[in-house]
Amino acid sequence: MSARWHAHEGVRTWVALSPALLLVGVLFGGAVVMALLRSIGLLGIGEGGPSLAAYRQLVTDPGFARSLGLTLYVAVVSTSLSVVLGIGAALLLRRLGAGRRFATTMFQLNLPVPHVIGAVAILALVGQSGLLSRLGAQTGLLDEPAAFPAITFDPWAIAVILQYLWKEVPFIGIVALAILAAGGDDLEEAARTLGASAWQRLRHVTLPLLLPGVLSAAVIVFAFTFGTFEVPLLLGPSAPTVLPVLAHRRYTDVDLAARPEAMAISVVITVVVVLVVLLGAAGARRAIRGDAAVTEAGG
Amino acid sequence: MTVVTPAATDAARPAPRPATGGPGATSRPVALAVVLLLALLLLPFVPLVLASFAQGYFYPQVLPERWSLRAWQVVLAPDGATWAALRDTVTIAVSVAVLSLVVAVPAGRVLGTRRFRGRRAVELVLLTPVLVPAIAVAIGLHVVLLRLGLAGGIPGVVLVHLVPATPYVVLLTAGVFANAELELEQQARSLGASWWQAQRHVTWRLVAPGLAVAGLFGFLVSWGQYVLTLVVGGGRVVTLPILLFATASGGDTAITAATALFHALPALVLLVLTSRILGGGALTTFGGAR
Amino acid sequence: MPPLTRALLLLSAALVVTACAAADAGDAGTLPDTSRWDEVLAEAEGATLDLHMWGGSTEINRFVDEVYGPRLAELGITLRRVPLADTADAVNAVLGELEAGRSSDGSIDVIWINGENHATMRQAEALHTGWAESLPNAALVDWRDPAVAFDAGIPVEGAESPWGSAQFQFVYDTARTDAAELPASYAQLADWIRDNPGRFTYPAPPAFHGTRFLTQWLYELSGGAEAWVDGFDEDAYEAAAARLFALLEELRPHLWRDGATYPNDIADLDRLFANGEVDMTFTQLPAGIGANVEAGTLPDSARPFVLDTGTIGDHHYLGIPVNAAEPAAAMVLADLVLDPDLQTAKLDPANGWGDGLAIDVGRLADHDRAAIDALTAGFGDLALPPERLAAVRLPDAPPELTDALDRDWERVVRQQRPRS
Repeated sequence: MSARWHAHEGVRTWVALSPALLLVGVLFGGAVVMALLRSIGLLGIGEGGPSLAAYRQLVTDPGFARSLGLTLYVAVVSTSLSVVLGIGAALLLRRLGAGRRFATTMFQLNLPVPHVIGAVAILALVGQSGLLSRLGAQTGLLDEPAAFPAITFDPWAIAVILQYLWKEVPFIGIVALAILAAGGDDLEEAARTLGASAWQRLRHVTLPLLLPGVLSAAVIVFAFTFGTFEVPLLLGPSAPTVLPVLAHRRYTDVDLAARPEAMAISVVITVVVVLVVLLGAAGARRAIRGDAAVTEAGG
Repeated sequence: MTVVTPAATDAARPAPRPATGGPGATSRPVALAVVLLLALLLLPFVPLVLASFAQGYFYPQVLPERWSLRAWQVVLAPDGATWAALRDTVTIAVSVAVLSLVVAVPAGRVLGTRRFRGRRAVELVLLTPVLVPAIAVAIGLHVVLLRLGLAGGIPGVVLVHLVPATPYVVLLTAGVFANAELELEQQARSLGASWWQAQRHVTWRLVAPGLAVAGLFGFLVSWGQYVLTLVVGGGRVVTLPILLFATASGGDTAITAATALFHALPALVLLVLTSRILGGGALTTFGGAR
Repeated sequence: MPPLTRALLLLSAALVVTACAAADAGDAGTLPDTSRWDEVLAEAEGATLDLHMWGGSTEINRFVDEVYGPRLAELGITLRRVPLADTADAVNAVLGELEAGRSSDGSIDVIWINGENHATMRQAEALHTGWAESLPNAALVDWRDPAVAFDAGIPVEGAESPWGSAQFQFVYDTARTDAAELPASYAQLADWIRDNPGRFTYPAPPAFHGTRFLTQWLYELSGGAEAWVDGFDEDAYEAAAARLFALLEELRPHLWRDGATYPNDIADLDRLFANGEVDMTFTQLPAGIGANVEAGTLPDSARPFVLDTGTIGDHHYLGIPVNAAEPAAAMVLADLVLDPDLQTAKLDPANGWGDGLAIDVGRLADHDRAAIDALTAGFGDLALPPERLAAVRLPDAPPELTDALDRDWERVVRQQRPRS
């Protein structure tokens, strides 16, 4: 293999990649750069010269800190619960004999349903005058809407988290199923014949196998639950609200001076998500290396 | 050698099954748990269906006191806003799917089949737009598109939808190419086929189903977009999510429910169709990338 | 070329392109001359008219689509109704376009507008002025009536053409609340809230009904609407707002959900009311709640009422942004909606709306006037008699007052912070 062939290959590789990279670079990179520049007061009309005023405003605003806290809480809880329940669902589905394919198809049904619809549906289900509450009224357990627990528009954003679980448990579940289908059975069977108990098999074979792929999926779920706008808008508390809603509120504020703040909040959202992605990627790499070590050791 | 035991009645020890998971005994608790799981996942649709066929469906009615087709008549009205929104949503989503596939095929092929320096970095770069929240992209790009005269119209919306859609499509396409038996293409070439013939008769057959599903993902990403369309479309582009949100902010629960179901159905139908294409387990083709 | 350098180059190129985009401060569009109406109609023919209006009422949307749409089509105009969650979205869009240098061929041709939004756009000189009083049908409008000529205290100066009128009313459910218990003033409402904890709330400002609800309360605490007729007074506002927010704070635990959350808009409040979570909601329609009951969004047993201390009534309008792409078609619409038969149709709850008149009944032909009288006679008790509404009608507040109220509410009530 000559060096010229390598170089030729290299150029062809990058040429093939360039349309995609260009698209992403210009559109997405442009968006991020614009938000960044406008957050420090550049490129917007009537916003004066460069300054960190918008960021200073955010740091001193207790509402922003509360919003950041709420958004992190929602993302962390939704992600952790989706991972646990998603893996559990995958393991459960794999235990099915007859009807497994039907059940798996039904399990995936939520995936293409847009979040706006899910939010409307969850509201109709768990609102204080929703279906569950009405069932309570009909069976005599509850006597008025207010008797049903207030889990919509509440400070713990419970309905928001439920809606995320509704979509993301199948997502993580499908990822886990795919990983297990690709090679989980042989290892597990081997462990079983070696005398490992169900719990040991889970802990030392299944989970490590799932970890890298599920971790990547979990990073996606975190990013998504951190950055979604329409679900908290329809189901969540209004003060404090999550960062994406806060950014939109500032952006559409009639007072144009709020624009740089909106951009600054955008930048903060981006930074947090990127940080978590990098952490997750590093974590996944370590998990893969750890997993490889185990496989090598196990022969 | 596997020891076959009779179906256990002890719930703590589910019966062993063949490794491929074909028809075998399923213990009762597992079956019940699965039914419960599926019921929970489908439960939220129930109040929507009920509300869409009802009039004056107030608390505490569980089954509507007054059934009515009024909401569906309004939503499905021939000149109504719903069909126009459907048309625009489909136009945008198809454009997004096609455009993202066009850039994805060369990029995905390379990412899926070649090891090169910087591959991880490229994947990470491509993944970031998926992760960064739409609101940030929307307000960042809005002014740029305004200046370019693209805001408030379908082309501008297609462009912004490409931001979250393209990465999915590229990474999925990479997965397709990675899993495809491209040696067959080599064999065809060595048997004397031209590059074009090899592509047309061998490679295309191998990857077309997977590409179709990758394109479907791009379609679905665009199908459900709200914030990007809201901000960049400036309200002038009314897609189904925009319409649904506006309706949900209005007082008519029945029409909101009917619109929501109308919006969900095509996506569900498409998923079932592509499941058929791939013979079930659509997502396992790509190793589970979303 | 190393990928990083390449990436940086791409980003810089993108930056340069956008930074160099010419900010064109060209002339705004000019309006056709209304005295030559045939030419206006001719210019409007073939246009697609982008009407941006609040889309929160399916019934109003359908009315616009099904009543105005065909009439415009006869004139060769295609109506494209764009629903808004909030009129401020359209205001922002126009201001954003003007800011980005798009001074013609804007995306919005006509906006359903009044009050604060009108004030904001006039301040930014973003609306065409001087055209509304010279429309052919403007003769049917009583432009000498301050309720028409002034929008929230700001002289209209022909920058918007009236579409209809409205008056704030409360709504209660006869099945749950006895008419004798109804409050007749905000002071009595406060008592009612204390006696019925968890059964009352209002939409969060800046939602229209929420702001108006609080404005009326402020009137009562500041000695009446007369105090504000001459314009906004900072000191008077400070004093009254202090009282209002202290009272709201005291009432907070007695509100729905302990006052920790509020419905986003009137539609949410209607839903809470209809589902029995709260016992009152509001409406703006002079024809009452007939349309809502018909559509099944409010229960049959609901009835409107007003406070003896008064509620705000005003007109709403259509405005044309300076960068509208189809100003001629916009003017045609503004003129069309003033047609007596269309105004009557709009007033009729059977058509889904029930909005008040923008035209002066005294200027109508006899048969038109008779039709309207017959209509109002048939409202029954789903509407309040026009005399009752007129007797308690108060003018709208200066926009500085509503702005300040919205800002302070967001700060004090929503974010629980002191009023700086």
